[in-house]
Amino acid sequence: MGFFDKIKSVFKKHGDDCGCCKGKQEKKPKAAITAVKTAPAAWVNPLDPFPLQPGPPPGGKIKLAVYWAAGCGGCDVSLLDMDERILTIGDMADIVLWPIATDGKEHDIAEMKDGEITISLINGAVRNTENEHMAKLLRQKSQIVVSYGACACSGGSPALANLVPGGKDEILDYVYRQCTSMKDFQDKQKKPIIPQTSVKTADGVITIPEMYDVVKSLDQVIDVDYSVPGCPPTKGTISELIAAFAAYLYNGVALPPKGTMIGASAKSLCEECPRKKEMRRITKIVEPHEIDVDPELCLMDQGILCQGPATAGGCGSRCTRAAQPCRGCYGPTKLVDDMGASMFTAVASLFPVMDFDPICGEDRIMDIMASVKDPLGYFYAFSMSKSLIKRSVVDKKGGQ
Amino acid sequence: MADFEPKIIAFCCNWCSYAGADGAGVARLQMPTNFRIIRTMCSARVDPEHVLRSLAKGADGVIVLGCHPADCHYIGGNYRARRRIALLKMVLDQYGFDPKRLKLEWVSASEGEKFQITITSFVNDIKALGPTPLKEVE
Repeated sequence: MGFFDKIKSVFKKHGDDCGCCKGKQEKKPKAAITAVKTAPAAWVNPLDPFPLQPGPPPGGKIKLAVYWAAGCGGCDVSLLDMDERILTIGDMADIVLWPIATDGKEHDIAEMKDGEITISLINGAVRNTENEHMAKLLRQKSQIVVSYGACACSGGSPALANLVPGGKDEILDYVYRQCTSMKDFQDKQKKPIIPQTSVKTADGVITIPEMYDVVKSLDQVIDVDYSVPGCPPTKGTISELIAAFAAYLYNGVALPPKGTMIGASAKSLCEECPRKKEMRRITKIVEPHEIDVDPELCLMDQGILCQGPATAGGCGSRCTRAAQPCRGCYGPTKLVDDMGASMFTAVASLFPVMDFDPICGEDRIMDIMASVKDPLGYFYAFSMSKSLIKRSVVDKKGGQ
Repeated sequence: MADFEPKIIAFCCNWCSYAGADGAGVARLQMPTNFRIIRTMCSARVDPEHVLRSLAKGADGVIVLGCHPADCHYIGGNYRARRRIALLKMVLDQYGFDPKRLKLEWVSASEGEKFQITITSFVNDIKALGPTPLKEVE
């Protein structure tokens, strides 16, 4: 009995015994099938994007792999956000690899035939040799590879490490030697202890993956079929992805074209944000906790740096509804290459033209703009791997 | 570094600086030939993406030329541009570029001579800085 069958059996018992669940179970499949049948390709009913469908697909169960590369694991957990819909995944697919939940191993995948896995969802950026190896292996063994989450799509937070000028060596040196919690320990050692990629011990050679200087997004390493943005992807976005596959497997509805960004809207977040824009100009940048945030007014108008203007919508503007600025996890809209650059434009236009503007020098403008702290880290928080200049450069003459 | 000839992208606004460059040419003013002009309708048309892309593709320096303050054909375009350039300079600094690789200057339609001086001094600055560090990295 598989992992999902076990969970499902618990739910089934509950459903058979009590009347409320029974009623629901009888009604849902009917509505579900008609909903999917009438749905054209890639169109999803927003109220029930992934209707429950009992039993395996007509063509038999598919094989599904989920892999966790350089990421925080939030994407893996987000897959469980589908509530009871997760149960139909067990009907639809056999999970061959999902390190966080099941017991598939790398060698199990390596022994498979090419293209044996139907769908691979890979989350996390490519940070070391292991990530790259697994990404390439899964690409070889899978028919469809989905780049899942902001890190896989555009580097995400791990890619901010690209801005460390010394790259890998500087990061390892700081983490294992310089930082306060390690310094005392290292000072007591005869020789500083820094992880090596291979170490000889009495029991044999122990190896760990080698870290790269630059963090790459998944599509910079392998060919990716679909992308799902978000940190992590929202429930709606995940449902849209699964619904697209379910519609294909159960009803033969065509899959979206290759390269589709599933779940992201073509327009920016501002289009779906309920806040009102009054085109106010600001002179001071604040954090949400520093002011009493107006629940109706645009956050930018209140002086909070919100990345909505440069970010693709599709997430339901959850952050801005909760008075938190958008951090840009859904990535840029389709027409923009460099997300941060379009934010620079938006932010620069926020500052009003002052009386002294015609007569002042550039230094004064630099002082005004200096109120934006850490523009590179803030505006590229999720998209460093996809930015035009992908890593820090060391300008020897510039004294950096 | 003596034989280093930098590649410089110059964004010139249609109404002032491009005419200024034209004036410099008509007056046969001598200046280095390291720059490639891209004409834009306004200095505010220069998207930060244009500057970043120029640098990413190996330009050694980028200069943005616009109308003098209070002189913009579109009333306030140059004020927007200077705020963007200020922000971009901070970003280039964070990337590790010398912020001097990006310059904003005001050149009006009648200032052919100022165009010559600006370009000459910018080329000299970039020559002193050396080739873009991106070339060594990639």
